[in-house]
Amino acid sequence: MSLVTTQPDRSVRMPDLKGVLLSSEFGLFLLIVLFGGLFYSVSSGFLSSFNIAAMSRAAAINIMIGFSMMAVIATGGLSLAVGAIGACAAMTCGWLLQEIGLPWPLALLLAIAVGAALGAINGVIEVKTGLHSFIVTLATMSLFFGIMIFLTQAQTYRGIPADFVSFGRMKVMGISAAMGPTLIVTAALIVLYGNTRIGKEMLAAGARPEAARLSGVRVGRMIVLAHAISGGLAAIAALLLVARNGAAIPSMAGNLGQDWLLIAFLGPVLGGAVLTGGKISVIGAFLGAVLVTVLSNGLLLMQIGEFWLQACLGAVLLLAVLLDLARRNYLERRAKQ
Amino acid sequence: MTRNLFQSDWATPMLVALTIGLLISLFNPAFLATFNLQVLLEAVSINVLIALSQMVIIAIGQMNLSVGALGGLAAVVFAGLMEVFGLPPALAGALALGVGLAGGLFNGVLIGMTGISAFVITLATLSIFKGLNLAITQAQPFYEIPDAVKSFGNETLFGPFPIILVPAAVIVVLMVVFFNRIPVGRWLLAVGGNAHSAELSGISITRTVIVAHCLSGVLAASAGILLVARLQLGQPTIGDDWLIMSFAAPIIGGAILSGGHVSTVATVFGVLIVAQITQALVLFHIDPFFVQVVLGLMILAAVGANQLRDLRLQRAPQE
Amino acid sequence: MTEIAFETRSVSKFFPGVKALQNVSIQMRSGSIHALLGENGAGKSTLIKLITGVYRPDEGQLFAGAQEVHFNRPHDAIAAGVGVVHQERNLIPRFSVAENMAMGQTTIDPLKPIDFRRLNELAEPWLDMLGLSIDPAIQVSRLSVAQMQMVEIAKALSQRTRVLLLDEPTASLTPTESQALFDVLHRLRADGVSMMFVSHKLEEVQEICDTVSVLRDGVNAGENIPMRDLQRKDLIRLMIGRDETIPEARRRQASAQSVALELRDLSTSFGHRNVSLDVRRGEIVGLYGLIGAGRTELAKTIMGLGALTGGEILRDGAPVTITSPTDALHRHRIGYVSENRKDEGLILDHSVLENAGITIWRRSANRLGWLSRSGVRMRTVPFLDRLAVKTPSLHQKVGNLSGGNQQKIAMAKWLAAGVDVLIVDEPTVGIDVKSKAYLHQLLRELADDGTAVLLITSDLPEMISLADRILVMDEFILKGAVANTRDYKAMSQSVMEHIHHSTDELRQAQAASA
Repeated sequence: MSLVTTQPDRSVRMPDLKGVLLSSEFGLFLLIVLFGGLFYSVSSGFLSSFNIAAMSRAAAINIMIGFSMMAVIATGGLSLAVGAIGACAAMTCGWLLQEIGLPWPLALLLAIAVGAALGAINGVIEVKTGLHSFIVTLATMSLFFGIMIFLTQAQTYRGIPADFVSFGRMKVMGISAAMGPTLIVTAALIVLYGNTRIGKEMLAAGARPEAARLSGVRVGRMIVLAHAISGGLAAIAALLLVARNGAAIPSMAGNLGQDWLLIAFLGPVLGGAVLTGGKISVIGAFLGAVLVTVLSNGLLLMQIGEFWLQACLGAVLLLAVLLDLARRNYLERRAKQ
Repeated sequence: MTRNLFQSDWATPMLVALTIGLLISLFNPAFLATFNLQVLLEAVSINVLIALSQMVIIAIGQMNLSVGALGGLAAVVFAGLMEVFGLPPALAGALALGVGLAGGLFNGVLIGMTGISAFVITLATLSIFKGLNLAITQAQPFYEIPDAVKSFGNETLFGPFPIILVPAAVIVVLMVVFFNRIPVGRWLLAVGGNAHSAELSGISITRTVIVAHCLSGVLAASAGILLVARLQLGQPTIGDDWLIMSFAAPIIGGAILSGGHVSTVATVFGVLIVAQITQALVLFHIDPFFVQVVLGLMILAAVGANQLRDLRLQRAPQE
Repeated sequence: MTEIAFETRSVSKFFPGVKALQNVSIQMRSGSIHALLGENGAGKSTLIKLITGVYRPDEGQLFAGAQEVHFNRPHDAIAAGVGVVHQERNLIPRFSVAENMAMGQTTIDPLKPIDFRRLNELAEPWLDMLGLSIDPAIQVSRLSVAQMQMVEIAKALSQRTRVLLLDEPTASLTPTESQALFDVLHRLRADGVSMMFVSHKLEEVQEICDTVSVLRDGVNAGENIPMRDLQRKDLIRLMIGRDETIPEARRRQASAQSVALELRDLSTSFGHRNVSLDVRRGEIVGLYGLIGAGRTELAKTIMGLGALTGGEILRDGAPVTITSPTDALHRHRIGYVSENRKDEGLILDHSVLENAGITIWRRSANRLGWLSRSGVRMRTVPFLDRLAVKTPSLHQKVGNLSGGNQQKIAMAKWLAAGVDVLIVDEPTVGIDVKSKAYLHQLLRELADDGTAVLLITSDLPEMISLADRILVMDEFILKGAVANTRDYKAMSQSVMEHIHHSTDELRQAQAASA
């Protein structure tokens, strides 16, 4: 019959093997295994139970930081303010615990709400003024961080309940308990972007706002929401850090929170996110952050020194975008044939 | 003539800068004390170079996150060459500028040749430059700065005018000429204003992008060198806090981030505005952390004002 | 006859799946104005890109004078004396008029300071020649659109251009400005410049052109015909007159049905004045007009993207306020297939399924916002099948499909949404004949099933074969209705008259006021 068109949808039941092999997720997985093996062969301490716990704890935080950037990248924006928002949320939590004496679960929820609210402010400014998110978040990173330092007088809150701190140090089957919240968030994000109206609309709004708008998507609302999610995720990352450190420290993300920037972009970009919006991979960002953690940990074990490590991570980002360019050119050519 | 003056790009920032100066000195005459003015001009001399380093990239419609990291790297190279190898300051300075040029070339080639966004590339090179800096210094400052360099960075010509104002002023004049008279400078603005049209006129976009990033690197390096002279110290943390400053001054001066329109003179006044406000917070014993808040607010206010002005220009093109 | 300044000999250009141009030959003579006519998607812009070095021909040759030329990039064409004034401005807004004109020369010596006074002096004679009283030192961004266009012409001439292409130069000009432009073109013709004039406005073409070539579906429909041998009706016949007979479609009886969408005295911020129309269930109402007549803007206003300054919109007889496309789709069940498929119609980087499903996500989600993949698929695949969309898989990127398949997907998402009122804007531009036939059949079936369709198209045969009634819009005003008699000649005549009449009226009014 001449009208028959959509052939049985094979790609669902039996994924195209070549496609999987070319995906950035698979590439990342290979690299993690490769580097893991390499580091293990050089230093058997790499897979010691202590190191695995330490790595999984670092990975849990790095993954969350990456997710918080990914949420904004999905709508075609970026946020320089993730670190500043994280620091603000952590300090809010510390203040609520130490000065107000709230029970810790309540303090955590409020801190996450503060993060989401600060993110939403970014989104509202972006949508109302039509400015690029770069400039908006450049201004607000300075604004949020400055206000936070002004209010806290740059003091560290150490009155963190023992329950919360011990959670940060707990191990489950050899892996840091901090991985728990991160895995839950990962699953939630997979569902959000794959199986919910809002997630799909955010991606559509990011890929081509005009087309999405004409198809009934409220683009502005989606951008605000993406920033709010980003803020909430940055808050969770910061809280994991508070649990690890046993204190809420204003400089935990560096001056203005700038120290988070590289790690925040590394995960999603390694994972194959397109910076102009509309395409992200939750699993990719997860694996990207794991790779970065493995690399950092392994290179430190190999005595490369903390300082060279930063240069190496920069080089990794550079390499990743160049490889991604090559991969996309290849796929593009393949698709054209 | 007066009409022309007030229509020029830098009239508004100049008026704002003068008004702020006037207000501060009315409330606190100590603002006009020689020492205070000297501190102000020292800050302006260095911050102008930081701002120009970002401005040349804004001119082509891009951004450069690595300005601070590159300036910091050049700074420790400058100090290190003098302390460790005992090189004369002039040679060490030239080599440090060379580091800036090389770093800028690296940025420019990667962005110009691959077309990957400048944001990602300079985020990556930021880490690379900063990592190199820390690896060289092991996070320890170089203390052995020759006396000639120290006095260059801290003495005054006459009155409140510091010596380091001279190189800064010379660079500003060169930049004004570069963007207004020299074809290459016009290429930068042409590419930022309408890349397609520039290309049709035979301008190579790749080459222009590379030139802009090289220039940005050299300017960042020169700021780093002056800062070493003023601090009398090769601090590895030099450059860590340049990012906001580098964007704030050009934006307050009216630069349009989509490219094609920057003004060196307006950027100078932008720097002056920021420096005066910072100084005022100190004079009035306001928490110095508040500077961050004010800077953030000023960036938002300035982009808002720029947008309004552009909207008005579009509505009334005939005037 | 004068000598040939530029010539294409049997040039062809192919894109994946599309023959954009086939064996097109045109001759441009010195001191003469050559018109290039054709509907949207006929291949005009491809031809212009070949002549100006943006594309290279896959077959055939280009000649500048007697010399064969090969353009590898736009700069080569400029060097060979071929200049173009595009619809989109190619000036640098913050630069002065004189500097813009000299842009090509400043690349020769990158470090030699520019002498702006000299640039102004160099620019002056060219501006004078065009009769422009513009200060060469003024910033281009301060000029009007018409003045910018003149500056572009001056720039082209200053680059020793002897072959000048003008791509819809009057599209954004007022009649008075157009007249000034024509005076300039006449003067250039007297100086021996060879020009190609691309326009949709036939009366302009008749007024100033000496010869004409017409493209239709990528091939020559008329080659280098002297204008004096042609009358307006001949031009219309060449442009839109097809040999294919217009299929005799079954007449629908919609008059008994209720009115689904009505506009009453609608005035908008786009400039529409007192537009009144109605579309009944099961009816296809055509909205004809030239490009820029305000049809797309009217559609966007109905979708909630433009502000009403007067009048009202009624849906099923009740006045409604539509604030956004979301509102239009989900509350009022109105859909819009955009003419701009690449930017507004589809998300080219997303898959077939994501594109087809975007309008129904909201409806398919359960109370928690969960969207089952099979649910979305169930609601979209039948429509993709019905439209015979050809794709290797539902997960294929839409950008990798042919234009015809893309347009089918852009349509399918509105079918899936099940809207009661569908506005279709230029549905078949740039797509293959077979897809076009499918889409036509589909639109008829939709109407038969009770959907109210408002069809916007510049393709008159399409209009006649689909529409039950035809409304003509020009200058953001409805000019009148034409009954669909299916007599192509008579109808094209009366449609054109509605439009020309209005332009003439406007001219007279302006002449009277001047």
